[in-house]
Amino acid sequence: MMSLFAQVPVSTPEIQWFYLAPILILALGGVLLITLTSVAPVMRGRHISALFTVATGVLALAFLPFIAARLDGLVDPVAGQGGRPAVDLVSSALVVDHFTLWVSGLISVAVILVAVMLDGYLEREGFESPEWYALLLISASGGVILASAEDLIVTFLGLEILSIAVYVLAALHLRRSESQEAGFKYFILGALSSAIFLYGIAMVYGATGSTTLTGVAGSMTGRNAAGLSPAVDSSLVMVGIALMLIGFGFKVSAFPLHIWTPDVYQGSPTPIVGFMTSAVKVAAFGGMMRVFLVGFGGTFASDWRVLVLFMAGFTILFGSFLAIVQTNIKRTMAFSSIAHAGFMLVGLYAAASPVAIGDTGKRAVLFYLLAYTFMSIGTFAVISIVGKKGDGNHSIEAYRGLAKREPLLAMAFTVLLFGQVGAPFTAGFFAKFRVIAAAAQVERTEAYILAGVAMLGAAVGAYLYLRVVVAMFLDVQESPSTEMADSADETLALVEVRALEVPPATLAVVLLAAVVTLVLGIFPDIGSGALAEAALALVR
Amino acid sequence: MMSSALLAIQSTNPIALTPNELWVINTFFYVIAAVGIVAALKMVTTKNVVHAALYLLVVLTVVAATYIVLGAEFAAATQVMVYIGAVMVLLLFGVMLTRAKIGDDGDLDYDSKWIGGLSAVSMFAVMGYSLWEAFGTDELPADMAVQRTGQVANSIFSQYIVPFEALSMLLLAALIGAVVVARRD
Repeated sequence: MMSLFAQVPVSTPEIQWFYLAPILILALGGVLLITLTSVAPVMRGRHISALFTVATGVLALAFLPFIAARLDGLVDPVAGQGGRPAVDLVSSALVVDHFTLWVSGLISVAVILVAVMLDGYLEREGFESPEWYALLLISASGGVILASAEDLIVTFLGLEILSIAVYVLAALHLRRSESQEAGFKYFILGALSSAIFLYGIAMVYGATGSTTLTGVAGSMTGRNAAGLSPAVDSSLVMVGIALMLIGFGFKVSAFPLHIWTPDVYQGSPTPIVGFMTSAVKVAAFGGMMRVFLVGFGGTFASDWRVLVLFMAGFTILFGSFLAIVQTNIKRTMAFSSIAHAGFMLVGLYAAASPVAIGDTGKRAVLFYLLAYTFMSIGTFAVISIVGKKGDGNHSIEAYRGLAKREPLLAMAFTVLLFGQVGAPFTAGFFAKFRVIAAAAQVERTEAYILAGVAMLGAAVGAYLYLRVVVAMFLDVQESPSTEMADSADETLALVEVRALEVPPATLAVVLLAAVVTLVLGIFPDIGSGALAEAALALVR
Repeated sequence: MMSSALLAIQSTNPIALTPNELWVINTFFYVIAAVGIVAALKMVTTKNVVHAALYLLVVLTVVAATYIVLGAEFAAATQVMVYIGAVMVLLLFGVMLTRAKIGDDGDLDYDSKWIGGLSAVSMFAVMGYSLWEAFGTDELPADMAVQRTGQVANSIFSQYIVPFEALSMLLLAALIGAVVVARRD
């Protein structure tokens, strides 16, 4: 029995806390917020939780330039990353490189903007609870973990932290049964997709004997060595990759795993939908790019990129065409976000190509994520304002005459919608242009077809955004009599629009998003240095 | 006979099994595997919620027994404590405290169940094929080492410290979420 106590001391890994700062700040911010609000009554005042969350996001954001500077100053970058500055943390569980920093930056920005618009929303709806913000911060920390995970186990845990908090946030509008339904639906389907994702990890581990991305990549390249028997069993790896693609595809709502999206977006509290389309999508794409390009980027890239090709094409087509027939703005924007995910998958398809084109593809996806983060948060901030008390005023008819009553809001919304169309002089134009150009550079027949499909989708998608713009600039009195069928509902909605209350902070978010959309559309090379560094960090 | 072989696995590390002991372990595995498959099928086909829960109990026990056969003692103990202990009790409490019908319930049947069945069968076919192709002829090493609980503990707090901490954040998120969703204000 004594031998039990005479253990050899465990060698604990060295922890470089500085590089972990964004994750720690976001996670501890969430824990601290929920702790402080339960013990200190002072913390329960109005706006304090929102301020705390914004401060946490800003702090996480403020660390990023210093981490970038420290990374660039590294004399001896980790060899496994192809000479690119990267730091393996805590026995290769996490890696910090410029890609991690880019994704962390976008997630922190999303947390800040969503927290600001959540403040106005919660005040209007009469919820005064810190748990919204705490879950937001914890979810964001999961997103950063997902994007920086170097080990598939950590990838899975990051994905789950990100998701579990969002399932709850989706259901948090306790007085709307749609919200509860959305949360439950998201939870059940999300749990199923997580299980499938986990199956995929198990298969990949079974085939390669490793859960770290470098280990997986290493054993896959061993398969090519001449004269050696295959190091991995290819059918097992292919099944594993396919299952993991399903898991990620669900999170980014790619065809055919998109079916939950309209229902969940329609029912969830509007600022939370803004978080889902920005931070959740950024984190899921970040994790997907790291796992697929670093882990599976070698021998099997030519196999899985065919799957991504089909996914991308059908996602764009389904998203664009189904968006047209919607009458609810949140459902419309849900299908639009599906289409946007399709465009990003086009970029991912290009990123799976050999080196030079691959970098163009990665840069295109990262730029798309930047542009879409601002455009979607701004859009949902407007929808949140127009949604009125009860968060139910979401028919497109509700936007009729908005330009007259709230000119500033309508103007900013017009910019954001034109951005989503992909009109020139907006960020959306360069986002779409870059992914399509990257796909065209692959110079294969199917890539040209995909680029064509993407352009068709962009053209069709323009109709749905312009429909909302037109509604805003139409006069209320000019309401066509052909739509008298549900006139009772409509007049009720119109009366409510007149008493629109616009929280200044939310309006500021909308304006900021619109300005960023324009600035990135006129000077698309802002931050291209960081973008290139981030893309190059994902060396295959 | 069987238990002596299992005890042998657990007492020394690593050990070489005699062909006789291997035969016992293999037979034991086939028996529990068959029980597990039958219980899993019964679980999804029964029309009684409590019966389904009890069939699930059998499935989970079989998984724990498989871990024992593979020499993963910590995983087996955790399986028993967490799944058979906590999760099952939770499930039965859930049945008891909600207005779920105890006894046969026709509503448990689902009209489009063939879609689920079809996807389950195709998933089984694909995964079964690839697993069989990869490991169909492999044998467990005769001197298979038992994974000691101490080793698991050491690796959790050294090599796998990040997954461990991330898991605690996950549980915290789930805990906050459960409280918030269940509370009525």
